[in-house]
Amino acid sequence: MKKIYWIIGLLLFTLVGDRLGGFVLKKITNSSEFRYSRLYNNNAESDILLVGNSRGLTFYQPYIEEITKENTFNISYNGMPIDLARVLVEDYLDKYEAPRVMVLDVTMCDRTNKSLISGFNLYTPYSPRLGKLLKDSIPKVAYAGQLSHLYLHNSEVFQRTVYHLKKNDEDWLLDRQINDFMVKDVVNQNLHTLIDSTYFDKYLMVELNTIINAAKEKGVDVKLVVNPYYPPYLAKLHDLDEFVARIEKATKMKVHNYSKSITDIKGFGDYQHLNKYGSRLYMDQLKRDHIF
Amino acid sequence: MIFNSLAFFVFIGIFLPLYFALKGKARLFLCLFASYFFYGWWDWRFLSLILFSTLIDYFIGLKLEETEEPSQRKRLLSTSMIVNLGFLAFFKYFNFFIDSFQEMMLSLGVEASWNTLNIILPVGISFYTFQSMSYTIDVYYRKIKIERDFVRFATFISFFPQLVAGPIVRAIDFLPQFQEDKKFEWDRFTSGLGQVLWGFFKKVAVADSLAPFVDQCFASPGGFSSLHLTIGVIFYSFQIYCDFSGYSDIAIGLARIMGFDFPDNFRTPYFSKNFSEFWTRWHISLSSWLRDYLYIPLGGNREGSFGSVFFIVLPMLLVVGLTGWWWLLLIYAVVSFISWRYMQQGEKNKRTMFNYMNLMVTMLLGGLWHGASWAFVFWGFLHGSYLVVQRLAGPIWTGMLNKMKVPNFIQNILAIAIVYFFTCLAWIYFRATDFEIANQVITGIASLEGFNFGTIINKFWVVKGFVLIGALLFVEMTDLRFHYSSVIKTNPVFRLVSFAALIWMIAFFGSFGANSFIYFQF
Repeated sequence: MKKIYWIIGLLLFTLVGDRLGGFVLKKITNSSEFRYSRLYNNNAESDILLVGNSRGLTFYQPYIEEITKENTFNISYNGMPIDLARVLVEDYLDKYEAPRVMVLDVTMCDRTNKSLISGFNLYTPYSPRLGKLLKDSIPKVAYAGQLSHLYLHNSEVFQRTVYHLKKNDEDWLLDRQINDFMVKDVVNQNLHTLIDSTYFDKYLMVELNTIINAAKEKGVDVKLVVNPYYPPYLAKLHDLDEFVARIEKATKMKVHNYSKSITDIKGFGDYQHLNKYGSRLYMDQLKRDHIF
Repeated sequence: MIFNSLAFFVFIGIFLPLYFALKGKARLFLCLFASYFFYGWWDWRFLSLILFSTLIDYFIGLKLEETEEPSQRKRLLSTSMIVNLGFLAFFKYFNFFIDSFQEMMLSLGVEASWNTLNIILPVGISFYTFQSMSYTIDVYYRKIKIERDFVRFATFISFFPQLVAGPIVRAIDFLPQFQEDKKFEWDRFTSGLGQVLWGFFKKVAVADSLAPFVDQCFASPGGFSSLHLTIGVIFYSFQIYCDFSGYSDIAIGLARIMGFDFPDNFRTPYFSKNFSEFWTRWHISLSSWLRDYLYIPLGGNREGSFGSVFFIVLPMLLVVGLTGWWWLLLIYAVVSFISWRYMQQGEKNKRTMFNYMNLMVTMLLGGLWHGASWAFVFWGFLHGSYLVVQRLAGPIWTGMLNKMKVPNFIQNILAIAIVYFFTCLAWIYFRATDFEIANQVITGIASLEGFNFGTIINKFWVVKGFVLIGALLFVEMTDLRFHYSSVIKTNPVFRLVSFAALIWMIAFFGSFGANSFIYFQF
């Protein structure tokens, strides 16, 4: 009989510990300065909304705010897929006054990324949309998050909420210069295909149009761009022109292609990302072209 | 089927109640069926290989019992070796041999264009082959009695907890345990469950959390700073340890719940103070297998044999043939001459020399056992060299430290650090897909370019990795003092809290992508 009590005790103790731990972690998530915590904490009012994957982080917020004197909010995250961005933008538009302009780097439409969606599990208690996206994409993860609140916070996204507990994240950008090895090795890089033949038309473009329409309905000026690539690396993006053309066709909007706009090697952190210096050059150009 | 998958949890949830509900032959059949089901989940076609290997060794065992004629017995043993090693050679090494031969011919100026085959490596073949062979060898040397019950024998070969990645449990230890029906025992259940949970923590939380950073480092080492690569290598040393020992813990824990006792396969290997000790703490079931079935038959530390010389000369010549570095022959000749002269100077020198050769052969073949690649052979060569150098220079080093009156605990820390450093150096070759990648990693680290935290890409992986390694080391170090396994047995409250803590850690840190175990490929 004692053994049964021990087993029941183990299950109960595990559950109580899990809930207590989950409660503490939720408090941390709530009080963090991380962008998504701010988004769901009504603390992300902005004039300029920026959207993208890791390449979207090259929209260097401190500098944009300096040159435009306007508030910015950047929804970008490493590897962010368009469906997750759609959910976050829709949540943003529901919670806040419409921003003046939304700038979206369309190269985030090159793939789906289920594992990152699972990383946003910790924000599902704040967003039914996010919960639905997770349930539709990876139901096992959604159920596991309900079962264990510790598991709900098991992701790099949560680690970032801890890191940004008392630290603003608007400065989140590479601060190094592409190294000599990468410069030499660019010729050996594999071809990178941007058009995902399975999902491009039937899913990715549908999601992109949903974001655009939701923003336009609120009166937001939507600007689609392609952020710069390290010029020699462009040869590896063999379908970039077709990719841009197909997005223009699907959205009936102009895509401002800045892929070749930065040529100074000092401006790159790696093949696909500008560093702070490069980003400043690029932001100046966007300002000149009235993208902001 | 892998342990860290939903399918396995369903499987074990059905299996264990049935296992304890059944008795005698019915239970044995259940075990065998479950083991074949477990293996067949991956690819049922390869069950035929296990079955064939089982049949061969079962019938050879029976024949060995019947005959006293030495030549006949030798023939039977040879048949078992040829069949078992033949399977291994074909499925694991065929393409490697063909490629190596072609490269060697090319370096001689002859173009040989033999096609390699699209061969799938059967999961766990190296493990169950060694387990099966140990039975026949022990029967041949009359160390054990034969097993007449085929179902029992087949279950011994295919026992699912340790089928695909060990530990390699020998017939002499395992078969007698099938003699009696195991009853459900609470103490076994709780201590087995504890080990299973600890194994899952090591695999799912530690190893799988370190894996992405390591993969990134070894995919293109040239793009990373010295510090980034150094961390990558440290992470790999813990990834492979936690991945493999985690599997062993789960296997041993499951077996204990079922009533079987398996020997330890790992004993905090990174706390070893010398390389001989390392090999009594790392993959113990393989290293003791190699010691008993290879090193000692070669002559051990007493004498040499044809095999000692053959397996040293063969790879030396192959290296010359493959690289086209003919000047190596000159070095070999000089070293061989010095060795020969040294051996001429007395029986003791001869024994020492053969001991070194036998050690090297054992480590070279141990390296090759891990995979069909020269990088694995080189890994074995490095470990063989470490053992030889340790025997040559160890006493001088210790004498020097004693003369300098270095305190014992500092000597110990220094020794652990040195062993860990050189073990990591060898891991680089083990992990890299080829020598070029391994050399890039080593030169990248040695360059010391960008040895600051700012050069690390994805610092969050690094922080998480070190937190988990810290937790692992903390438990392992304190375990040396507190012996948690005994506390768990006697203190139900501690047991409850520690099990719950492990579950929390797994839930919070675990990676649940059902990542395969590294040692499945071996």
